[in-house]
Amino acid sequence: MTELVTKIQEVLNEADVVLGWVHSAAAGAAVPAWFHNAVEAEAAVFDSTCVHNLAVHLPRLQDRTAGIVAKGCDIRSVVQLISEGQVRRDRVRIISVPCPGVVDVKKVWRCFGYGKKLIDAGGQVEMEGKTAPREEILLWKCRGCRDTAPLISDVVVGDPAGVAPPSPAERTGLRERFDAMTPAERRRFWQEQFSRCIRCNACREACPLCFCRDVCTMQTREPHWTGGQINAREAEMAQHIRINHLAGRCTGCEECERACPVGIPLMLLLEEQNRAVEKLFGYRAGTDPEAKPPLLVFDIDNDTWDSER
Amino acid sequence: MRFIATDRIPGLLGRLVESGMSVWAPQVVKDTVNTVLFAPWTGLEEISLDAYTMLSAKQLVLPATERLFSYRYTLEGGRERIGIEPSPPADKETAVFGARACDARALAALDALFLPEEGSGYRDPGYAAHRAGLTVITLACTTCDSACFCSSFGKGPAETAGSDLILYPVEGGLLAEPVTEKGSQIAAFDIFEDSEQSKPELATTACIDLEGIGDKFLGAFNDLDFWQRATENCLSCGYCTYACPACHCFNIFDEMSSDREGERCRSWDACMFYVYTLETSGHNPRPSIAHRYRNRVGHKFSYYPANQGELLCTGCGRCIRNCPGGLDVRNVLKGLAAVEAATEPGTRKPGPSGPEAGKPGTEGPSANGPEAAR
Repeated sequence: MTELVTKIQEVLNEADVVLGWVHSAAAGAAVPAWFHNAVEAEAAVFDSTCVHNLAVHLPRLQDRTAGIVAKGCDIRSVVQLISEGQVRRDRVRIISVPCPGVVDVKKVWRCFGYGKKLIDAGGQVEMEGKTAPREEILLWKCRGCRDTAPLISDVVVGDPAGVAPPSPAERTGLRERFDAMTPAERRRFWQEQFSRCIRCNACREACPLCFCRDVCTMQTREPHWTGGQINAREAEMAQHIRINHLAGRCTGCEECERACPVGIPLMLLLEEQNRAVEKLFGYRAGTDPEAKPPLLVFDIDNDTWDSER
Repeated sequence: MRFIATDRIPGLLGRLVESGMSVWAPQVVKDTVNTVLFAPWTGLEEISLDAYTMLSAKQLVLPATERLFSYRYTLEGGRERIGIEPSPPADKETAVFGARACDARALAALDALFLPEEGSGYRDPGYAAHRAGLTVITLACTTCDSACFCSSFGKGPAETAGSDLILYPVEGGLLAEPVTEKGSQIAAFDIFEDSEQSKPELATTACIDLEGIGDKFLGAFNDLDFWQRATENCLSCGYCTYACPACHCFNIFDEMSSDREGERCRSWDACMFYVYTLETSGHNPRPSIAHRYRNRVGHKFSYYPANQGELLCTGCGRCIRNCPGGLDVRNVLKGLAAVEAATEPGTRKPGPSGPEAGKPGTEGPSANGPEAAR
């Protein structure tokens, strides 16, 4: 019985359900699982394929006490949800796990193929005899992670101080190239990117902070801010609405980009916006459950935002 | 059989382009890590035949958005009139290169609905035009991965339905076997040569038991507990339906470009969206993810087979490989059998208690438990 399993079982004494992961033989990786009792929890795992941000489920579980196995970055989403009143602190039990970074499944497929079991040890990942340096297949958000220590937690598994964050790195080439683009070039770049968008809304549904979900302006005709056509113009408009709505709320968990089936680099936009919010307001989303997101309280006629607070 | 060397494949595609066709082939999207999509091939692009595409080729017969007609209000002698200009049916010849047997088979399943025999149902003119202009050049699978389950559906990778020409990977190139007249014409191109090589052994995927699956679904229909547990990981996005080669639901709507003119369009729609069944009154008969996912499974494995005689799933595995939430439809299908066994008539759990309980017009006996509003 691992420490993780034991702690989930303990939390289940006071929680209706615990969100965690199990290993899926078909996927060769971890898949999310909801543990309702101690027996189910016996299958719980945490490894470098536990990419999903399970905080996405919490706003739908408001009427229950839910436990959540969470990486440092996932905890930031929980914190942000608490600060926005979408999750009650007394109804969530955070089980923090020490995370040395999680893999980008698309990189794993490129290196190894889908569904093969990944062995992660000693700075290398290995699958079917092929190896790759661990850092090269991590999600970009994990490079230079600032959140390995849990901001808040109820139960700690392992030693959070025992994991070293992966070395920092910018997304290869793309970020640099994008930053160097003129506004007109950026325009063309995004038109090309959004020409692939199929408006499946996976970005929205995978985002823990997009909790409007069923009443989202990306899809409604009231207000009719976007047309129903699936084309670059409407897709880009819909995405800009979503992204602007995440100003000062996005914790950079990268789930939107991970979920995107057509590979639109949404984090280029969100990172830019997150940096702007941090610079303008000294605010980093999901770091203080007591804080109010700046754009929720910002008053243009009475601009007294104190960046120190 | 006919044979084409690997290095002559661009030449073959070039011949198709020269003949006036628009050619679509799988390509890695620029600036992405191995995101492979069907995309137009114009002569320079590198094609990628060893990875599975994130989306199927159905956009070639059911475009994501298609204008049905445009309209314009005019005033004539003080009276308002509407002028309608229908969009001409597509007349473009298109070839898709490197579809798989699962993609092609889905076209055959869609034909059952959109192109019924003359006189036996509505033939969709938009679909008919695209389908008539489409040539499907299928790459037979000699390998598969653990998300593939097409062997559950009879012939699996050896399926020929929906294909015009099938290409078999062999040493140094591809063997070509025509299925239709369109395919024969292409195999006759002199870029192919005659070959004595025999067809390779095709992959056999993991299988699930589909025996009586439609009835098993109906048996489990009322067990909302089952559907809620089965869909806990579902995020209710539309990826699985949009990537699916057989899902075909659409929405029809008007978009106005000014207060005088606009266009009526149809676009893909997904039954996993809350707004899909949202009624004008505000009532929604499928209020929870469980309700919506149940409908998706039912349409594929019960209603469509009952109405059209074809399963609406071909085992391509896209919804499994790429589900952002980590759902595997095979687990749900396996679970159906267990539900039926456990719920003999009259032994179903009594009384729903959740917030949707007893709401009139909710599909099924209504939701159980607090997750009903998910």
